[in-house]
Amino acid sequence: MHFEIRRGIKSVAGPIPTGEPIDRRSVNAVAMMGGDYPNVVFDLRVKEGDMVRTGQTLCVDRHHPDVCFVANASGRVSKIRLGPRRRLEFLEIVITGDDVITFETDDLRKLLLQSGAWTSFRTRPFGVIPEPASFPAAIFVTATEATPQAPNPREVIAADTANFQRCAEALLQLTTGPVFVCQRQGTPLVAQGDRLRVATFSGPYPSGCAGPQIHRLMPVSRQRMVWEIGYQDVIAIGHLLATGRIMTSRVVSVSGPNQAETVTTLLGAKLSDVVGSYMTVPNDQYLGRKTLQVTAQGTQANTARPFWHKILDALPAAPIGAMLPMEALERAFPFDIPPAPLMRALAIGDVETAERLGCLELLEEDLTLLSDLCTSGSDYGQLLRHTLILLSNERVG
Amino acid sequence: MGAIRPFWDTYRVTGVTFLALLPPLIVILVLRGPSMIAPLGFAFGLGFFWSFVFAKLRKSAFNWHSAINALIFALLVPVATPIFQTALALSFGLVFGDLIFGGRGRSFLNGAVVGLAFLMFSFPAAPPDIALPQTAIAATFSGAFLLALGLLSWRIIAGFVICAVALLLPAANWQDLPSATVILGLVFLIGDPVAGASTHLGRWLYGALTAAMLVVFGQAAGDLGSLSSVVFAALLASIFAPLLDQIAIQAHVRRRARRQLYEP
Repeated sequence: MHFEIRRGIKSVAGPIPTGEPIDRRSVNAVAMMGGDYPNVVFDLRVKEGDMVRTGQTLCVDRHHPDVCFVANASGRVSKIRLGPRRRLEFLEIVITGDDVITFETDDLRKLLLQSGAWTSFRTRPFGVIPEPASFPAAIFVTATEATPQAPNPREVIAADTANFQRCAEALLQLTTGPVFVCQRQGTPLVAQGDRLRVATFSGPYPSGCAGPQIHRLMPVSRQRMVWEIGYQDVIAIGHLLATGRIMTSRVVSVSGPNQAETVTTLLGAKLSDVVGSYMTVPNDQYLGRKTLQVTAQGTQANTARPFWHKILDALPAAPIGAMLPMEALERAFPFDIPPAPLMRALAIGDVETAERLGCLELLEEDLTLLSDLCTSGSDYGQLLRHTLILLSNERVG
Repeated sequence: MGAIRPFWDTYRVTGVTFLALLPPLIVILVLRGPSMIAPLGFAFGLGFFWSFVFAKLRKSAFNWHSAINALIFALLVPVATPIFQTALALSFGLVFGDLIFGGRGRSFLNGAVVGLAFLMFSFPAAPPDIALPQTAIAATFSGAFLLALGLLSWRIIAGFVICAVALLLPAANWQDLPSATVILGLVFLIGDPVAGASTHLGRWLYGALTAAMLVVFGQAAGDLGSLSSVVFAALLASIFAPLLDQIAIQAHVRRRARRQLYEP
């Protein structure tokens, strides 16, 4: 199956990383960020100063205590910071030693839940961690680069084909429907089967994001839920199935205005240890759970820009304005959803209209381009999250 | 960390529209000579003035798009119009067509269209202008520039052209249609994203509706490319644009509902 997604933004924002990943796994600290998991209330199982082992449960989801969040490294819990409403902001572990927990691998669901791998799944609609007993209509493995400068998935998977295949086959146990591996054109990344299928996608950004891919293969609704998972998490689960130990290394790209490199580092690693000499980052910044690209801000000196961009750059930054329903919005939005009415519905909090237009198919990342193009300066991702929370509460109540 | 500046903001949209307006402006200045500087400058200043007044009165952000609308108005208005009529009509258009709604993007009309319509209602004796073919060519360039940026919708243009051709083929006087007034109006008045429809289907319908009204008004006036037919077609169509959008949204919702019923 091949899909060509034509809508999107063609221009490349900067240099593409090339070459072998640089090893930066010896970081000082890793952290678990609460903000990576919307809608979760954490029940802590450790306190500041405790020693933890790699794979040890740090906290659980209060509503589903089977869902564990585990330590990505062994060491001492150095900081637990709570944000507004005592919500966990982040939990930092200063790495000492190399003590790893080995899990029993016979029961797949139990293994995934206990080892924290369950948290690498995300549902659509709503974009939350799936409930422990649920069965999705399909599972989507995103093996395309979601952002233009992210590492090349094919190269990362090529280094670990066996684990990728092992996990892709294991995922079939979690669903009664198909498991789709979404990739770029070329040789299939897995050996296909009856339910294990490969779908290829081409096109400009954001054709590599899970949203447009799921929209074409199996649009979700209140009646139909699917799960999505990133390719590196799939490799990690394959590794877990083979060895019983969690795999904490991830390949990310680090790019500045003029150069880019791929880096192997740890999940949740402290950003200042990851980025090398590219940029200075504030102290308490860590790699997000699904982050695959770290970019330094700055003017894109090397990209060719039309002359009139320079005229526009001379204008002062405008204060917030109203939304202009330009056709540029449609050109950048690869969903069969009219963007201007959706943006209006989200902006005024019209939950019903947003649902009727199809906002359940979307997550925050799908609206980044619209937020960028809109003259109002609104963050439609945040507005969408607000709407999704209202809609999911409605479902329960 | 500071936020990354988004590409489009209101100043940039206004700036790009101004860039697009430059070719027809230059052509008119060259063809008609320095006598055009005074009315254009006057309109530009008046647009700025009203923007400034409303920003002060409402303590809101300043947006100079009214000055651009005023330039479009000055491009289209007959040369012989007395200055007090221009001032009155333009002020009415900018204030009641745009600014009292909260400025650009919050109203559903184009200020220049409302001003021109006011002028034609109040002072119908204004003599018709001579169409300049060079301006038509310059306006076509402006349209192509705005189309490439996605500020102007090709669906509106396509709907307009298809409907106009379908209606005019039997009448066989389609040669009158691509005049400077019609092309300027299509690019800057009818194609204004604020005044037009904001969905795909809505844009097709909006383009077609504008063309139909333009042909009806034009045939009645005896001149297809007359300014009054362009202005009143644009005004009426932009009043209907929200309705067309609603139709498009209903069709979209119904299609979604059907898809979810029948898919496995």
